[in-house]
Amino acid sequence: MPNPPPVEPDPITSKSLSGPVLVSSLLLIVSLVWALYDEFYGLRPWKNYQSRFRALYSSYLQKLRGQQAEEEEKIRASEGYKKLEEQWRAAREAIAPRESEIRAEQNLTERQLAVLTDLLPTARGLVTSLIYKLETAEGASAKAKLQREVEEAKKGPFRARVPQKDDTLKDVNFTYDELISEYNRLRERKAALASQISELYARANRVQKQLDEYLSERLAGPRASDVERLQSSAKRFNVEIRQIHVLSTPTFGVPETVLVDRCQSCHIGMDANLVPPTVTLTKAALGVDGSTDAPFTTHPNPDLLKIHDPKRFGCSPCHGGNGRATTSVVKGHGRHKYWLWPLFYRENFDAGCQQCHARDLVLEHAPTLTAGKELFRLRGCMGCHRFQGFDDEDEQLRAVQQEILQQEKIRRENELEIARSNEKGDAAATNEEAQRWYRRAQRLQADNNRIDASLEQLERRSQGLLREWKKIGPNLKEVRLKLRKEWIPVWLENPHTWRPTTKMPRFRLDRDEIEALSAFLWQSGIRERIPQQPRGNPVRGKELFETRGCMGCHAVGETGGTFAANLSRLGEKANYDYIVRWIHNPRERTLPYCPYEKRDLTAEDYRKKGLPFVFGPENSRCPNDGHELQIQQMTVMPNLRLTWEEARDIASYLMTLRQENPDSYPAAPFMNDPKLKERGRFLVRHYGCAGCHEIAGYEEEGRIGTELTNEGSKPIERLDFALLTEKAKRGILPDGSQSPRGKWYDHKGFFENKLGNPATYDQGKVKEPLERLRMPTPNLRPDEIKGLTTMLLGSMDPTIPEQFRYRPSGPQKDIQDGWWIVAKYNCVGCHQLRATEPSVLMTLPRYQDPDWKEQLPPPLVGAGARLNPDWMQQFLENPALSESQLDRNGVRTYLRARMPTFNFSPDEIRKLVRFFQALSSQPLPYVPPKVEPLTERERILARQLFTHPAAPCLKCHMTGEPAHDRTATAPNFLTARERLKPAWTERWLLDPGRIQPGTGMPTGLFRREGDRWIFSGPTPAGFRDYRGDHSDLLVRYMFTFTPEEQRLLLGRMPASPGSGSGEPQGKK
Amino acid sequence: MDWHQLWEITSAPDNIPIVAMLFLIPFYVWYGLRQALANDRLLAQLEADPQMAKSHHRKIFPWKEGWEREVHTWPYLMRIELLAAIIVTFILMVWSITLNAPLEEPANPNLTMNPAKAPWYFLGLQEMLVYFDPWIAGVLMPTLIIVGLMAIPYLDANPLGNGYYTFRQRKFAILAFCFGFIVLWVSMIIIGTFIRGPGWMWFWPGQTWDHNRLVFEVNRDLHEVGLFSWIPGIHSVVGKILFGAIVVGAYYAAAGWLIHKLCTATEFNRKIFGRMSLIQYLTLQFFLTTMLALPVKMLARLLFRIKYVWVTPWFNT
Amino acid sequence: MKRTHILTIVLLALLAVVAACKKEAETPKVEEGPAPAATTAAIDPATAATVSGKVVFKGTPPRRNRIRMDAEPNCVALHKEPVYAEEVVVNDNSTLRYVFVYVKEGLGDRSFPTPAQPAVLDQKGCVYMPHVAGIMVNQELHILNSDPTTHNIHPVPVNNRERNVSMPPGAEKLVFTFPREEVLIPVKCNVHPWMKSYIGVLRHPFFAVTGTDGSFTLQGLPPGEYVIEAWHEKYGTTEQKVTLAAKETKTIEFSFTGAGGD
Repeated sequence: MPNPPPVEPDPITSKSLSGPVLVSSLLLIVSLVWALYDEFYGLRPWKNYQSRFRALYSSYLQKLRGQQAEEEEKIRASEGYKKLEEQWRAAREAIAPRESEIRAEQNLTERQLAVLTDLLPTARGLVTSLIYKLETAEGASAKAKLQREVEEAKKGPFRARVPQKDDTLKDVNFTYDELISEYNRLRERKAALASQISELYARANRVQKQLDEYLSERLAGPRASDVERLQSSAKRFNVEIRQIHVLSTPTFGVPETVLVDRCQSCHIGMDANLVPPTVTLTKAALGVDGSTDAPFTTHPNPDLLKIHDPKRFGCSPCHGGNGRATTSVVKGHGRHKYWLWPLFYRENFDAGCQQCHARDLVLEHAPTLTAGKELFRLRGCMGCHRFQGFDDEDEQLRAVQQEILQQEKIRRENELEIARSNEKGDAAATNEEAQRWYRRAQRLQADNNRIDASLEQLERRSQGLLREWKKIGPNLKEVRLKLRKEWIPVWLENPHTWRPTTKMPRFRLDRDEIEALSAFLWQSGIRERIPQQPRGNPVRGKELFETRGCMGCHAVGETGGTFAANLSRLGEKANYDYIVRWIHNPRERTLPYCPYEKRDLTAEDYRKKGLPFVFGPENSRCPNDGHELQIQQMTVMPNLRLTWEEARDIASYLMTLRQENPDSYPAAPFMNDPKLKERGRFLVRHYGCAGCHEIAGYEEEGRIGTELTNEGSKPIERLDFALLTEKAKRGILPDGSQSPRGKWYDHKGFFENKLGNPATYDQGKVKEPLERLRMPTPNLRPDEIKGLTTMLLGSMDPTIPEQFRYRPSGPQKDIQDGWWIVAKYNCVGCHQLRATEPSVLMTLPRYQDPDWKEQLPPPLVGAGARLNPDWMQQFLENPALSESQLDRNGVRTYLRARMPTFNFSPDEIRKLVRFFQALSSQPLPYVPPKVEPLTERERILARQLFTHPAAPCLKCHMTGEPAHDRTATAPNFLTARERLKPAWTERWLLDPGRIQPGTGMPTGLFRREGDRWIFSGPTPAGFRDYRGDHSDLLVRYMFTFTPEEQRLLLGRMPASPGSGSGEPQGKK
Repeated sequence: MDWHQLWEITSAPDNIPIVAMLFLIPFYVWYGLRQALANDRLLAQLEADPQMAKSHHRKIFPWKEGWEREVHTWPYLMRIELLAAIIVTFILMVWSITLNAPLEEPANPNLTMNPAKAPWYFLGLQEMLVYFDPWIAGVLMPTLIIVGLMAIPYLDANPLGNGYYTFRQRKFAILAFCFGFIVLWVSMIIIGTFIRGPGWMWFWPGQTWDHNRLVFEVNRDLHEVGLFSWIPGIHSVVGKILFGAIVVGAYYAAAGWLIHKLCTATEFNRKIFGRMSLIQYLTLQFFLTTMLALPVKMLARLLFRIKYVWVTPWFNT
Repeated sequence: MKRTHILTIVLLALLAVVAACKKEAETPKVEEGPAPAATTAAIDPATAATVSGKVVFKGTPPRRNRIRMDAEPNCVALHKEPVYAEEVVVNDNSTLRYVFVYVKEGLGDRSFPTPAQPAVLDQKGCVYMPHVAGIMVNQELHILNSDPTTHNIHPVPVNNRERNVSMPPGAEKLVFTFPREEVLIPVKCNVHPWMKSYIGVLRHPFFAVTGTDGSFTLQGLPPGEYVIEAWHEKYGTTEQKVTLAAKETKTIEFSFTGAGGD
């Protein structure tokens, strides 16, 4: 029966889902495609970079090739090239005829040889097999029979169709022996012919080589042909991950991967396999100027790469960033919160160097870092913050003293042991045993002797360290003697307003704190009297101040060094008598300090022991307990060996330097208020004043700041951004403005803001005065902040593999150590030490004048090659080179600038000498070469040359004749023997300008003649038939120069009173 | 209102599931209930007409003249499942392309991250640590949850509601589930994700997660609160143990009574109750009361700063 | 019904996903403008103008201190009458000698050919002649030694490279060139400290040195605005602005004031 039609269709069975299924499946497919794209391009941006690079690079090469080709054409057209080419062609032609016939013979021989080589094996096989039979046969008769067979076999005949000259084939029958000999003959012949050919070519090839050299020497950049090769390789280059893969030095023969850097996948210009060092890619050259998304250039500092080969060092160890990441720029540069070693920002690139070169003070290729470290030292940051290597004399001192105790202990034990052994020996049963014991005693005794020696050295070292130990700031025990009372609070208020360039940072002190501090300092100051001084002559003082070299460190107004205080307002604060004493000898101390009793000794202590109240290098031991005393001011300012008169003149001049009348300073009665003293004492400790100053009762005070040696790798969470944390994370600067860099919640951001204003992170906090951040405001310029930030960023315990770190020994180490001393005493104030860095004096206006240029202290670039280390050591110890007359320079008495006495410790002197020798790669100890003595005739010749009118030696060089020496501009020849090294002296004579640009000593005194140098002026008659080398003659003469000789010379010289314009007039 | 902060949290790749959950769970609850209620209406209709009820096998789309009496799993069910599968795959694809798993910096044992959060599906447990002694929150509770879940089939004495959505026939089960899963588990995950900031402190949404934030909060054990503290000898160890035991016991009694009331509230419930063996019923009681203890303790902690109720040398609750 | 729900789920989930995917920051692009093009125009002799004038000296002329050459007998021999320093030489018409007058600014980027004929600096009787001279960049400067003694020729430039060459009597002439502009390079002899000369090196030929009448003339200047500077080794520099029309001849006067001048 038929069903009635349904009222409505079944919602399940009737409905079709094909629509949705279709749509969603399509979506699924789309997502699949997307996934594939993402896999191949989305996650591999470097592919895009590489293909872009390929285009740019090849078009650049095209251009380059054109240029180079032109250049080469020019050179090819040049005379020299043509000549060579001519020779070359000639050579080739010379070869041609001979060559062909040799070739022909070669060819024939080879063909013949081929035939015999085929034949030989069969023949040999046959014979040798028979011989074998013969050898192994039993019985005489059998042997005889076989013998005959062998003979038969050898007769052959062995038939071969040997090719002949006329290309015919000739049947030849060889016996076995003939065959062998013929074969050998042919082989020898073949070799002979080959060598003939090469001989034939020798000359042509030589010329060919010359041609190539001629071209490459005159052509800047690569040869066109090379460029062509590059082009083809650039065409064939395939888009792929380019990575540097560094293995560790194998341990147990298993090297492990220490580094994988894929930076070159995008920075593809740096891939040496693709872009050879001869090619330099700049954005301009590639035509992508201004684009910030074209990382295609070659490394901007190839010299640096020469020292740090990327194949060994990779990229990320220096630059930071995530060398493995390839999925995006941000990831690769590690500029996201999960990568702890992000790429250093451009202005802080040098930070990378610091990681391994923390112990180097001067890095030629890292100016920012070098500046930063110099500043760190100069501003005395290490007064509060420990930083390994910076001013660690106090630590060393403690270490040495420990060591001494150690050694003494061992020594005592040995003593006992010796005694015991001897007893045992005496009581021994047999002689042998006794001997054993005695020998043991002897051995221990030997040990003790060694220990005695080392103890003696350690003692000296600890003395030396006490001398090396300096403070950044002046000695505040002597405030009463040195300073105007009212000035102190004014200064504490804000040092920068009074002296903008000062090292002293501004402690954000409240009024009462200032009063307490000044009160304490004033009242704890020592009250001894220092001698009154008569007034001096300010005008002469000014002259002296500007010419003696003071300005290498000190400035007045704008001009002068920044190493030490700017003295523009000295007159307002200082006490004349004290300044005189200070200038006369800054190291002179009013009272010696005894580190053992921890107090300054007074005349009283000495009187008690019935000793005269004198202390100094000679008697530097404490009268009470015999401990080594601090007998010097802990300042780096050296003793310029000025006369009292000069000192007075300079002091009087300095006292005239004022801006406002010191009497206008507000009176400070509170400074005598004993009630304030205690508070002051506390504050001194609280603010760590003793880090930089000597303060009564705080001589042994430690540093109050955090250690910064590894500050760069401190976890970001440990840097206290305080209430600025969120702002930093959102790129809002403390002042509320937007940071140009965006988020600054990183080390860079922290350091920069902290250095700019240390109080920043107190912003918005509610704190008790004493809880506030203590770090004082250093008043830094932006570039200075940059430098310090760079240094701190790099100061991390490096994640870099051990094998990359710079841990020099020997000469490198000497150089490293030396720079610290050089910086400590500011040698570069007066001397030039780096070819690229002028000394401070060189930059002063006065010394721009050509005449004054000769008054500059000698540059020390390459001094190690010039100076005899032994002499150097004497000189550094006593630059006057004389015990009696100290008021002079040891060598260049005519210089107005004075080489001061630094009271170096033996260790410092050792380091300095080593430093200079190492810089010129001179081995130590120095063994002077034998200077062959002059024959009588040579001596006469040398004399003649010296005094000859054409030879101006004695016009500039000192002769020991006072009048002349005042105006001389070069040292006395007498000093040469101990002072100079002969080899250098000769180089110097030949071309001084090359060794020391701008020297007064002229070039071209000698000219080359054949294999010798001869004087270029008209020579005295005696030289006609002198075959020797003139420069060598002079050097030898110099190194055998004696006072008598000098007098003799002077006798022959025309008298020369100080000629007119000898005195340099300083241009105002 | 700190939108930046809010965005930071919600946009963190590892919080995506939770953000999604915020939308998805309510939606599905609503969707399921909607279907359940529809079914309930249908059931009512069917029960009204026993004739039809007998012949009727479709629980949804009640049978009409001319329809198949039954529809087969294939293709009618399978095709829908296929569709679902495709869509889910698509979503997962897009998700995995657009968001990579965040690989964080190397762990530094001297410096743990703050806040340190468990993976989202464990945040509930971590949140519980705030309210209970670790031993209970970390060991006991999780075990109970698992065991409880396993026990459900054996505790379920209700024969109805298999294979179709219904509310009326499974009120009790559904409510219990909603309470246990949504109110407790899910909400605690959400709290753990969006509310708990540095130092596991309570930050309302839109409040800045300030690492330097300081909050003063003293948590007291129950016996130190108000009147209790006056009870003599309560501060002795024994006193504490006894007091805690009593309070906890009291709670169980009360909660048990409450739940019993629920189990026997309606005619239907009573019928089910009747079908249960004693062991079943007690187990059910135990799990439900324990489950109920969680929110009670949470409130006690959040509102009255009660740390522990039962303080013993071995464990605290 | 059902379908719409499923789609809504998909959309919701998608929204959540999309909302959550963070874009990584991109490095900002920096565009640089092109450098301004150089303006060079040849000089048309027809319109060439001239600046001339003299350098007046105010105040009392300082005493010229005598040069004592005793250190160099050969030179003493060469001089009948005493030799005086040429630092400040005031002519009878109270004008100043040895003043180097040149066009400092106003020529734009015009380039001028380097003259083929060399300038000459002779050392005669231990005195440089001329005392002050001007040459053009890369123009050859021939240095002669007509003395029976050894000199060394030592220019002390700032912008150019420094050299210092010994010249024995009767030595080959030396040829120096200076590739960079510099006003003025002092030249000295280390052997004879009193010897001094100054060489001005310019990129253009518009310079003059005042002579016995203290006058100077700069010819062939294209019309335009110029800064003209007068340089003296002791009294430093002064400058003047002049505006030249075509063919115009302007007369200007520089003046230096010595000690006691008002």
